[in-house]
This record gives sequence, C-alpha cells and structure tokens, in this order.
Amino acid sequence: MRVESAILVALFFSTLRQTTPLLLTALGGMFSERSGVVNIALEGMILFGAAAAAISVERIEAPILASDPLARSAWIPWVGVLAGMLMGGLVATVYAIAVIRYRAEQIVTGTAINLLAAGAPPVLMQALYNTTTNSKEVENRLVNIPIAGESISPLVFLAFLLVPLCWWVMFKTPWGLRLRAVGEQPEAADTMGINVYRMRYTAVILSGLLAGLAGAYLSVGFLNQFVKNMSAGQGFIALAALIFGKWHPLGVLGATLLFGFFRALAIQLQGGEVMPSVVVEAIPYVLTILVLAGFIGRSRPPAAVGKPYEK
Amino acid sequence: MVRYLLLALNFVVVLLMAIAPWAVLKREFGGVGVLLTPFDLVNPQNLELPAVNTGWAAPFFWVWVLLVLVASAALFVPNARTRARLLYGVGAVGLLLFVAEAVVFYQSVNAVNGPALEAGTSPRRLPLRRFSLSLGAYLGVFFSLGMLILARLQLPGGKAFLVRYRGVVVPLVSLLLASFIGALVVGFIRPGLGAEGKVLPLLDAVATKLDLVTYTFQLLFSPIISLTGWFQSLLLATPLIFTGLAVAFGFRSGLFNIGAPGQLTLGAICAMVVGVYLSGPSWITLPLSIAAAAAGGALWGAIPGWLKARFGAHEVINTIMLNYVAASLFLFLIASNEYKFFGVTVHLPFKAEGFEARSNEVQESSRIPLMLDLLVRDGHISWAIPLALLLGLGVYYTQRRAQLGRRLLVSAAAVLVGYAVGGFLPGPAVELTSALTSSRFNGAFLLAVLALLFYNFYLFRTPGGYELRAVGLAPKAAEYGGVNLRSKIVLAMAISGALAGLAATHYVLGGGVDEYRLKQSLPTGVGFDGIAVALMGQNTPIGISLSALLFGVLLTGGLDLNQQLAISRELVTVLQALIVLFIAAGGFLPRYFIDPLQAAQVETEARAEQEALEKALVGRAG
Repeated sequence: MRVESAILVALFFSTLRQTTPLLLTALGGMFSERSGVVNIALEGMILFGAAAAAISVERIEAPILASDPLARSAWIPWVGVLAGMLMGGLVATVYAIAVIRYRAEQIVTGTAINLLAAGAPPVLMQALYNTTTNSKEVENRLVNIPIAGESISPLVFLAFLLVPLCWWVMFKTPWGLRLRAVGEQPEAADTMGINVYRMRYTAVILSGLLAGLAGAYLSVGFLNQFVKNMSAGQGFIALAALIFGKWHPLGVLGATLLFGFFRALAIQLQGGEVMPSVVVEAIPYVLTILVLAGFIGRSRPPAAVGKPYEK
Repeated sequence: MVRYLLLALNFVVVLLMAIAPWAVLKREFGGVGVLLTPFDLVNPQNLELPAVNTGWAAPFFWVWVLLVLVASAALFVPNARTRARLLYGVGAVGLLLFVAEAVVFYQSVNAVNGPALEAGTSPRRLPLRRFSLSLGAYLGVFFSLGMLILARLQLPGGKAFLVRYRGVVVPLVSLLLASFIGALVVGFIRPGLGAEGKVLPLLDAVATKLDLVTYTFQLLFSPIISLTGWFQSLLLATPLIFTGLAVAFGFRSGLFNIGAPGQLTLGAICAMVVGVYLSGPSWITLPLSIAAAAAGGALWGAIPGWLKARFGAHEVINTIMLNYVAASLFLFLIASNEYKFFGVTVHLPFKAEGFEARSNEVQESSRIPLMLDLLVRDGHISWAIPLALLLGLGVYYTQRRAQLGRRLLVSAAAVLVGYAVGGFLPGPAVELTSALTSSRFNGAFLLAVLALLFYNFYLFRTPGGYELRAVGLAPKAAEYGGVNLRSKIVLAMAISGALAGLAATHYVLGGGVDEYRLKQSLPTGVGFDGIAVALMGQNTPIGISLSALLFGVLLTGGLDLNQQLAISRELVTVLQALIVLFIAAGGFLPRYFIDPLQAAQVETEARAEQEALEKALVGRAG
C-alpha cells in the first residue's frame, strides 16, 4: 500500500514536470492564435530557446568554473532563462515579419522555422563543442524547490500561475478584448481603430517568449544541457492541447495536464505489465484527432486564424 | 533611387574583388591554402609554394574596375536603348573576361604541374593540389549575369519578362538569399582557413574568411564533378523526389500534407511485412512489396483526408498527429516481440534477433537491385536502361499532339526498343572503384522517375487531375462545376500519401541506408524536406526533380564539409529552412511576383506599353 501511494506521488510530480513545458508553450500559442496567426513554429521556438539557455549558461559559467570548480550561483541559470526567452522572442519576430508583413503562408513559414531549429543548433554546437548531438553539461542549472519529499523547478510554479494571469489578460482587460477582436474580425477591429498588425506582432512575439521559456525549462530546469531535438514534438502537442482546450486558458490547463499525465504515465509504465509505454505515448495524438473530428466536443478556432490581413 | 543603390552595389563588388582571393594555388586537407588576391599572396601557414605565375590577377582586376565604371556610367545614360546596349556589352565582356581568367589560371598551374607529371610524380603528390578559382573570379560571373538581367530590364516589357518567369525567379532569389545568410553563418562560427590562433593583418584575415566561405560552397557543390558524387547525390535525391511529389500533389489539390514522415513510415512497415513474409518468384513479390509501400502511405494519407472531408477537421494538425502515431506504431512493431497489456502477453513476429530494434531482412526476391548492377554488366557499361529512359522520355515529350493513349503506347514501345537495342550495343569497359561499388544507389530511382511521370501525366493530362487542380485553385467553383469535393479530398490525400509511402521502397527494398530492413534510424525527416523540394520546384515535375537533385548534391557535399572543415552537415538543413522561409515570403520581391492577379496586371501593362510604342513608331514613319 505504501509503495503504491509512493508511486502515485511520483506520478503526480512527474505529471507537473511534464505539463510545464506544454502549458507554457500552449499559453503562448493561445495569444498567437487568438490574434489570428497560426503558430506551428512553436516546436522550433522551444528548441531555439532551449539551445540559447543551455549555451549561454555554459558560456557564462565557463570562466567562473575555471577559477573555482565548485562555484555555484543562483543568478546564472536565470540569465540562461532570460536568454532562452529572448531567443524565442527573436525567432518569433522573424516569423511575425514573414507572415504579417510579407503575408507568407503561415504553415509553410512555421515549417521553415521548425526546420531551421533542427539545423541551426547542431551547426552552432559543432563549432562550440565539436559535437552535433548535445551541448556541454552545465553546473548551474535552475535550483529546484523541495516539496513533500520531491522537488520541482520554480518554473513549474510560474507556469501554473500564468494560467489565471492569462485568463485575466485575455478576458478582463481591454487589450485582451482587442486581441480577440483582431483574431475574429480584423476588418471590424481595424475600423474601430485597433492596429491589427501591432496586435498580431505583439501576440506572436509573446508566444515566442513563452515557448523560449519552455525551452529554457527543458535545458536548464529539467536537464542540464541541450540535446539535439530535445523538445521531441512537445511544441506540436502544445498546439494540440490548444485545440483540445478550445483556445481558452482553463481549457488549455486541463488539456496540458491530461497530456502531461499521459507522458508521465508512459515513463512510469516503462517495463511494467500494464501497457507498453509506446502505446501510452500515442494516446494524446489519437485523442487530438478525435477531438478535431468532433467525437469529443467540437472545437472552433478563431474565425480569422491563418488568414493574412490586408488593409 | 534604384540607380544609386546599384551604384553602391557596384562599389561593393569592386571592393570585394580587391580583397577577395581570386584563386587558391594549392590547398591542404583541412582547407588551409595559399590564396592569390590581386595585390597579395596570402599564405597564413607558410606552405611551400613552387614558382608559379601570380601576377595575372592584378591586371585582370584593373580591367574589371574599368568595366564596373562603364556599367556605373551606363546607369545614368538617359536613353533606355543605349543603356541596355551598354549593359549587355558589359555583361558579355565580363563573361569573356572570366573565361580568360580561367584559361590563364589553369595554364599557369599546368606550367608547374605538367613537368612534374612528366617526371613521373603521382597525381596525389603534385606540387599544386586542390587548386581552384575563387570568390574574386566568381564575383565577375555574378556581376556579368546581373548586368545582363539589368540590361533586359531596361528594354520595354522588361519587368513583365521577369514576372513571367517568376516560377524560376522566386526560388533562385531565395536560394541566393539563403546562401548569403548561410555564408554569414559560416563566417561567424569559424575562424578563417589557416587563421586559427594567429594574428593576421586585417586584409589577410578578411581574405582567409572569404576563402572559408567560398570553400564551404565549393565543397557543398563538389559532388557534381565526379561520378561517385553523382551516384551519391542521386541516391539522396531519390527519397526527396518521392516526398517532394507527395507534398506538391497536396499543394496542387489545395491541401497541405505535412504528414509525409508518417506516410513514409507506414509505407516502410507495409513494404517490410510483404517483403519479409511473402515468398515467391521475384516478379510477383517485388511489385507486391512496392505496391504495399504505396498502399500503406495511401492509407495513412487517406485518414486525414477522410477526416477533413467528413468532419472538416484541418489536415495539417491531423497529419502532424498521425506522424507521431506512426512513429509509435513503428517502434511498437520493431522494438520488442512481447508486450503485456494488463498482464496479458501479446506476441509479435517482427523484431529480428538481437538487441537492436530492427525487423527481419527482406527476402532476396523482394529487393530492388542496385543501379550499379543494372548499369554495368560484366565490367562493361550497359546502355539498356539509359537508352530506354532516354527514348521513352524523348518520345513522350515530342508526341505532345498525339492522343493520350497513343502517346503512352508509343512511349512504352520506345522504352522497349531502347532497352533491347541498348542491351546489344557494346558499352565501354569501366573500372569500378570501391566508392562506386559501395554506393547504395538503387533502382528506386527509376521508380522515382516513374512517379514523376505519373505526377505530370495524372495532374496535367487527365480529367481527374484537372478536377483536382480545380479543387486546389477554387474549391467553390469546382464544386459548382460538378466536382465532388469530399471524394476528391480523400483521393488527393491518398495519392499524396502513396507517393510519400513509395519513398520507403528506397530504404526498405532498395537498402538505401545500408540494410534491407526496418531500423530505428529510418530517416523519416525526408518527409519534411519534401516541403522544401516542392516549394523550390514550384510544384512542377521538372522543378521538383531539379530541386531534389540540388538538395541531394548539397547533402552529399555536406559530408565533405564535415570531414574537411569540421562544419556540421546540418548547414544544409539550415539552407533548406531558409530557402523555404524566403520562398514563403515571396523572396522579399514586390507583390506582383507572388500574386497571380497582380502579375497578370503587369503583363497587361507591358502589352499596352508595347502597343503604344509601336503606334508611335508607325506614326513617326507615316
């Protein structure tokens, strides 16, 4: 009995850890899609953020560790987190310029960003560390907060605190109302004096910042290095969670918790007798397909999503 | 305004020509070399250099300065025709100048290497090795071509001329922009060749950086000068043709098939099942295995198609999700033979013995033969297949006016005749190098050619294809015209999936990687690369084959890049991504290059201008 409850506690914390990157990314994606821009590039933005965080932490700590191998400081990983966010934001800016200013096809452009995220970090890592698969392990990763015998990253708290904040911003502030208007009826919003382009730029860059944060969580919060392709489709799962959660912060929270639970379960079930973990891993994807088809509650996207706006 | 921009550009060209290496006289493995700039010999590692003519670059440089000055002055000539003539002249002289440079350079090298060769030095130990022209000389070619295009733009209808060929202009501009950014990346991440850990004078340091960038691109394109390189490039191009066709087929029907990786996976699984477990004569099992690959891909494509047709679910998300489901399924089948569901054990037959996750090997009878075995018989090249291909394609394209059925029949007959005649023709003896015999270039390439023909034939020559393209261009109009949208969506996705699934034949049945079986390392990522191929090829059969070949060459060259310069081969992925990004953004060209309506507008304006001009001429004559 005690063993089983220990497993349950472990499963609970594992779920929180697995949910965090999905939640951060999906909340970011929510802003982008609510403003009318499909963001299939979230996957790539996570990767860029993760790489930037791990590499910047490694670069900063290298001279410090050279003089004192045991030096640990609390601020270095946070600089990495900031770098990850900025990188995500930067990539999102490129994406935004292409799809908003040059009206590039959003899905094609998003795919290009994802492809770039698969290629650029290895090129950089080859130059820095002479290997394409992973960055050097960092000593200064984010310090976990101990709770109930387990410990979790401060970013986990941040992610869950962002949910009510996003809800408030989206539904209780004039800015949120404008954002939703731009995503539903850009022409009408424009007539009302809302700057459609500026709203969309802001929303897309915001999504990049959050995806970059999720990436930083993966590389300096969850692990202590960047590994090639470490997001392993989490950007796409976040996108699925967004659809699953009907583009609503609370729905997104529920969906990412569900998907995070399946991911945690797949890890817990490894080598067990209940179900092969590869099968459990596939469940979120199948669920998303079913939701999209309308078998489990219909999900309606913002009306103007994916359409470039022309004045 | 544009004039002054071009003037500035001319200035930059001259500046670059003055500091860039014009030729590399010799180069060691790892890239370090002796660079020849117009006014200097840059030799950062003090390599030993025999007496060789190095004085030719400076005179040529001064001629170029003169030429650029003429071009700059020509920009400000008021009369458009004179301007165009002058620019045409500059371009032509420039190209001739480049040829002259090449002749002088190779003669100067031969003057040193020739005697050494005669004295019996082995080609590997010649005094000058890995020599080549470099950036300074190449700049002249780019400048001249630019001037020729600029000249055409000065004449009436110039803009319309560019817009008419926008299917070529946009990909090419994107390729150039991507190469430029790729060059910046390379220059940023790595010190100049031979400059590592050294403090060089500024100009020398710049020269070594420019050499690094040039050599990077020389290496990337180097496969096109050797037979082995071609084999390897075509090997890598084969799956790209399939996935490029798959994505392009979707685009033509108004669908975005991002699910090629999953469809390829399913194709691989089905081909493996048939190939491993069906025994019989080769002429039964091989076609069935190939058909199984297509069927698996078609099934995996039809699911999102059906979901879209029946429930309106967007195909992009569904195909992405199915990619991951396919990956799970793949792993499920080959990772283990024993699974437990709630304590109940399920047995599977697929995983081969051993620790590694891989399937059993495909039977001999279901394997696609290597191209080398098809092309070479008893040490002699056999003309059978090349001649069959050449005749078949030639007849197919020349019989444009013939009725469709007849055209196909005649082409098929031409293929047979070519095969028979080619079989009897004596071929030259070839010496098979180990690099050639170890190449995995296989008959799946011929399947890819067939797939290209199918794409061209079905989409552009049949009523069904016409309807699909109509659905892609204007779904509502097509529906009004009596097309059943729903069934067309399912059909389009199924065919697109089948094309992606056929890419698996290259890996599983053709042994494209190294073994005739499913392995965890199945490179499903080529499904995404297909998007780049389709965009670069603008969804046309010729474009797709050329862009697949381009990426095949680059990927092959990427291996050299890794070995010689320690720059990751993933640079090619970066280039690919940038190309897709730039094509999506229309190459940052004006809107009339992207929007068909505005392009038509440009054409109309050009015609009006032309007519007005003719009228004026007639008026003056009268």
